[in-house]
Amino acid sequence: MMAIDFTTAATAAMICWAVGALLGIASVKIPALKMPGIILAITGTAVLGVYIAWYWNFLGRPPLRTLGETRLWYATLIPLVGFIVEFRWKISWLKYYCMGLATFFLVINLMHPEVFDKTLMPALQSPWFVPHVVVYLVGYVFLAASSTAAAHNVYLGLRSKTTETGSMVSHYLAILGFVFLTFGLIFGALWAKEAWGHYWTWDPKETWAFLSWLAYLAYLHANSYKIDRNKLQWYLALSFIVLLVCWFGVNYLPSSQNSVHTYTQS
Amino acid sequence: MATVRRQLFQDPWEFRESILFTAAAVLAGFLIQIASAGKGIPQPHLPFNALFLALLAVTVISAGLAFKNNPVVKWLGGIPLGLSLILAIALLSLIGGVVPQDTGATGSIAVRFGLSSIFSSWPFALTVIFFLVNLGIGLSWKLVPFKMQNLQFILFHAGFWIALSCGIFGSTDLQRLIIPVDEGKSGNIGFTMQGEEPHQLPFSVFLHEFSLEEYAPNLLLYDPATEAQTNFDVHKGLTTSWKGSDVLVVDYLPSAMPTEDGTLKPVASKGLPFVKVRISSDGRHEEGWVGVTLPSQKPVPVKIGNLLVLLWPGNPKAFRSAVTIQGDNGQTLMANLEVNKPVGFMGWKLYQMGYDEKAGRFSKLSLIEAINDPWLPAVYLGFFMIMAANVLFFWNGIKRSNKA
Ligand code: HEM
Repeated sequence: MMAIDFTTAATAAMICWAVGALLGIASVKIPALKMPGIILAITGTAVLGVYIAWYWNFLGRPPLRTLGETRLWYATLIPLVGFIVEFRWKISWLKYYCMGLATFFLVINLMHPEVFDKTLMPALQSPWFVPHVVVYLVGYVFLAASSTAAAHNVYLGLRSKTTETGSMVSHYLAILGFVFLTFGLIFGALWAKEAWGHYWTWDPKETWAFLSWLAYLAYLHANSYKIDRNKLQWYLALSFIVLLVCWFGVNYLPSSQNSVHTYTQS
Repeated sequence: MATVRRQLFQDPWEFRESILFTAAAVLAGFLIQIASAGKGIPQPHLPFNALFLALLAVTVISAGLAFKNNPVVKWLGGIPLGLSLILAIALLSLIGGVVPQDTGATGSIAVRFGLSSIFSSWPFALTVIFFLVNLGIGLSWKLVPFKMQNLQFILFHAGFWIALSCGIFGSTDLQRLIIPVDEGKSGNIGFTMQGEEPHQLPFSVFLHEFSLEEYAPNLLLYDPATEAQTNFDVHKGLTTSWKGSDVLVVDYLPSAMPTEDGTLKPVASKGLPFVKVRISSDGRHEEGWVGVTLPSQKPVPVKIGNLLVLLWPGNPKAFRSAVTIQGDNGQTLMANLEVNKPVGFMGWKLYQMGYDEKAGRFSKLSLIEAINDPWLPAVYLGFFMIMAANVLFFWNGIKRSNKA
């Protein structure tokens, strides 16, 4: 990653989020600060959006190949979910967690600047590449937000302050995430048929993607079996661990030595 | 209010019974696996696997409908058993996601327990069959009588039933054969990945030409004094400065060949990349040509100024085979096979797979993979049903949230 430009963009975004969040918290007392806070927070995300566009153009290929590049997308999209939830359901706390999570991803990237590599191996040069990865990204973003919301619900639960809207938010985010995960899985299978000859080979990345899909499938069924919503908040919060393994952990597992999916470590 | 805790196996069965049953199934699977000395599951081919599946579907659906009110059938088609089976499949897949697959030494524990081929092991097979029974019974209740509001459920569950069952039971009929062909020759013999006995194909592939495109080569600068190095992708006119030297790529020939007198002649294909580099430091300029060597040879650094300069070939960008395919029935097809662009022929799909990597762009050998999967349409039907359900789910999920 071009170190200088990324450092500038990431720092600008984090400052916008931090100040935006402070204004947002202060607006509890001083309502006039609410709008500037929201605008600043959105500006932070917009800065990253512009950076991605520039970087895409600079590379001449979609920046969706290395781990650092995917973290950049998460950092851009996760706060967006927080803003949408605030707009849609008037729930404002989620966006703080989302901006925190995004900051975390940016800091990882700042600590591990990557060498940029413009090449794309032939199997990745496919019209399926962008939809498959983008659908997955969006799915993970929803699920990350869902786990965040669930963790907040767990915290409220421990203080006996659960709310109906709280579990509703984590639930709908999980549904949205599940829908995108399902599309991602199937797009991946259809693409694999074109690129590698078979739609499913139990490649470690596929196996782990299937596992995280099963985790949310189990959630949906537990939910429709009327299992106590509050217990399911724990479950949703912890499901994120499976997702994290699927994102990053797979690269370090013994089974993944021959995987076509492991992101280049450069 | 005091709740009386239900005894194990007292109606209605729920999670504890489901977990016990599932654990017993998995355990039985492992026992059979060990008893059969790691030979794995029987692998029936067409038409027997299709017959078995049809029988399973009919039995499960009719049992689900006929004994709708039987408590055991109710449990067999219920969510608690479904959740336990999902958990079992997840745990078995977890083994498959951690233990390297298809690599274990014969006789090792991983092989005897089926851990290194978990997806064709007895515990996995038994779990999948019970999963299909559970899913099928649950499905039967929503299928009859048909109601529009159950459409999403039916598409999800029937789609998954079809994709899973046809994918797994049909995998025995999947043929993947690698056909090696040399330029100017034709081949009709395919080999499996394991390189077992050769298979005769119902068609032959004639290779007119194999060609490979690479990304721009990578220029490496090395300073012998400090042992520092740097590298960058080449393009004509590129300038950079490094350690007090200014570097300029004066000329770049993507494909050229040295002639007898030592000059370079650009060629349309099957040449090597060369770059002319100028290095200036302390007011002194020096120029020189650096070229990529064949993949089988060691690259030779060229000394320009104070630096050693080396050119690495770029990664492959695209490779393709111009072929003519001729069927035993006389049908012929001319095609360009390329990665991500397979070509269909007589029910087979042909893929550009590989080439002689030691020869790189000079490879005269192309590896073509021929794949025949008679069950693919059924699996895809399942996929499209799930995607249709997914669209409904997205839509309804949003709609319900409006009311909430
Ligand atoms: C293990 C076997 C399964 C059983 C016994 C089962 C059973 C059920 C039942 C009873 C419902 C509730 C339906 C309702 O309330 O109208 C349901 C919902 C659902 N099932 Fe399954 N199912 C199974 C597997 C699957 C699979 C493999 C998929 C995915 C392809 C799936 C996807 C869904 C979805 C998306 C819902 C909707 C959840 C919601 O509305 O919250 N199910 N299932």
